[in-house]
Amino acid sequence: MVSDEIVLQIEGLSKIFRSLFAPTGVKAVDSLSLSVRRGETYSIVGPNGSGKTTTLKIVLGLIFPTSGTASIFGGNVADVSVRERIGFLPEDAYLYDVFTGEELLDFYAGLFGYPARRRKELVDELLSLVGMQANRRVPFRECSKGMRQRLALAQALVNDPELLILDEPTSGLDPAGRHQMTELIFELKRRGKTILLCSHFLAEVEEVCDRVGIMYRGRLVAEGTLAELAGAPTEIVITTSGLAPEGASRVGAHSAVLGIDGDAVRMGQESSDELWSVLDAIREAGARVGEVRRPRPSLQDVFVRAIRQDAGEQDVAEEVH
Amino acid sequence: MGNLPFAIGFVVVVALLAVTHRLWVPALGHGAASTWRIAKITVAEARRRRVVQAVVVLVLLVLLFMNFFSYLNPREQARMIISGGLSAITVFGILLAIFVAAFLIPQELENRTVYAVLSKPVRRFEFVLGKYLGAMIILAVIMTIMTVVLVGVLLVQDHFVPDFDHSVFEPNLDNVIFAAVMSYFAVAVLAAYIVLISTVSSTAMTVIASFLIWAIGSLQSQIHDLAEAAETVFQKWFFTMFYWIMPPLENFDFRHEVSNFMHVSYRAGINAAGEGVLYIIIVLIVASIFFNDRQM
Ligand SMILES: Nc1ncnc2c1ncn2[C@@H]1O[C@H](COP(=O)(O)OP(=O)(O)O)[C@@H](O)[C@H]1O
Ligand SMILES: [Mg+2]
Repeated sequence: MVSDEIVLQIEGLSKIFRSLFAPTGVKAVDSLSLSVRRGETYSIVGPNGSGKTTTLKIVLGLIFPTSGTASIFGGNVADVSVRERIGFLPEDAYLYDVFTGEELLDFYAGLFGYPARRRKELVDELLSLVGMQANRRVPFRECSKGMRQRLALAQALVNDPELLILDEPTSGLDPAGRHQMTELIFELKRRGKTILLCSHFLAEVEEVCDRVGIMYRGRLVAEGTLAELAGAPTEIVITTSGLAPEGASRVGAHSAVLGIDGDAVRMGQESSDELWSVLDAIREAGARVGEVRRPRPSLQDVFVRAIRQDAGEQDVAEEVH
Repeated sequence: MGNLPFAIGFVVVVALLAVTHRLWVPALGHGAASTWRIAKITVAEARRRRVVQAVVVLVLLVLLFMNFFSYLNPREQARMIISGGLSAITVFGILLAIFVAAFLIPQELENRTVYAVLSKPVRRFEFVLGKYLGAMIILAVIMTIMTVVLVGVLLVQDHFVPDFDHSVFEPNLDNVIFAAVMSYFAVAVLAAYIVLISTVSSTAMTVIASFLIWAIGSLQSQIHDLAEAAETVFQKWFFTMFYWIMPPLENFDFRHEVSNFMHVSYRAGINAAGEGVLYIIIVLIVASIFFNDRQM
């Protein structure tokens, strides 16, 4: 469903925050370029402080770039007509807390100039979509984090936007809440929405996004589809059972085997003859073969690798998680 | 006040509107609707927080309390009630303006509620105007209630207090209402200044600055005297600038004339109100310009 039409284009975007305490400034975003096509779900992933929120705020015109441009539908987000076609879920979203879900959605729908009848239908529809019908009369301040996040998503959907911008949609939610939110994003994707989201936790968004941009210290250090980023599988893992120590050392002596971690025998991507000969060696050692897999590197690994390359091999693993 | 300041103010307003026309001309239709929606939710939020109720109870207590004093004679009694009542209305109005207006915008930024609004088709100046309008509605309701209570107290007293030959209880209602309306103008002008400050600073700073502006605005004639008495050109220039930049709050204060049954010049009031409206427009335009450049 992804078309070639570019919905969001960011070019050479930089943002330096200057303050009394940091007169030279903090470079929150550094020459960032990316584009999102219609129907695509693009995720910016990076550790806290890498500049994701800053990027989204610039895209929305809430703050202004030091240099570079961001355009939506080929226009400027400062134009009201552009903002009529986008929806935004802010990070740690907070709405006017004395009002209930239905009052809030009615207010936000009103900002698009919809008449009262249409607003009423819309509010019903959105409350059902995000699973808040039963709690529609609970004031926002009495809502749980999960309910708040779902109301905040509904708020971003009042205009049935073509482009949705979600800042950390799943962070701070319990596993059930995260699951609900991921399902909702899937549903929106099915409805053909273009989605730009960001997250500091890759595993939470891995399943929903078509493309990922890895951001670190304000820069986009890697970009591509999940498969492109992970690269081709590089090894074969054979799970065994009943592999005794002396048998293991015999299997380990095989030229194709890279190493043995407990019950798992790892070998390179050799020809199938080599695979059979390793399997034979395992059987001869008196062990049984459970499963043969060709795992891709996890995105977490890709993430660490990309950031390491960028940071010149500094130890950044703990920063990532 | 001659007509010259008026003319200058008028020219300044027209010039500002012309310079900023690209901001507001395309927005007239849609913008009015957005502004009104923001104003309405601001009022609704204050109602939920029971701001109005709390203040009204407080003011009722103050006004009722004043009835328990006995005075030398009916005229003196009327004087005390009018003077105390108008002061209560003015001071409560100003304090409320400070607390309502100073929190209007910074609170939205601190709670991050502003993001969901400004990512919608709402222009920033519509947001500023809507917030101001909402605050003015809240203050109008509160000050009207206070005025109605004061008028009620005066009518009741007029009925019960026996008049002497040489001293009558004079409720002076027309002038009391006039003075209350003028107080509302003072509050409206001060609130505009507070909104302006709040577009560039935090809540705490805004509250402090608001009290300062109130104090300075109430001492306008002293500043004028300073400008007149200035010894160097720089001093004169400085005080004159200061005089024009600060809100002319003194001009709205008719408490003394009204409570002492003196002649009250409605014309002076109308002039002050016109001048106040000019100040409000200029200050809100500047506030919108500042807010337009604000990083959220
Ligand atoms: N308003 C601001 N003033 C100064 N520095 C800021 C501001 N907002 C963000 N930063 C800094 O910019 C960097 C990126 O922040 P942010 O975009 O929030 O990161 P992320 O969303 O990826 O966690 C951080 O170092 C942060 O401290
Ligand atoms: Mg963030």
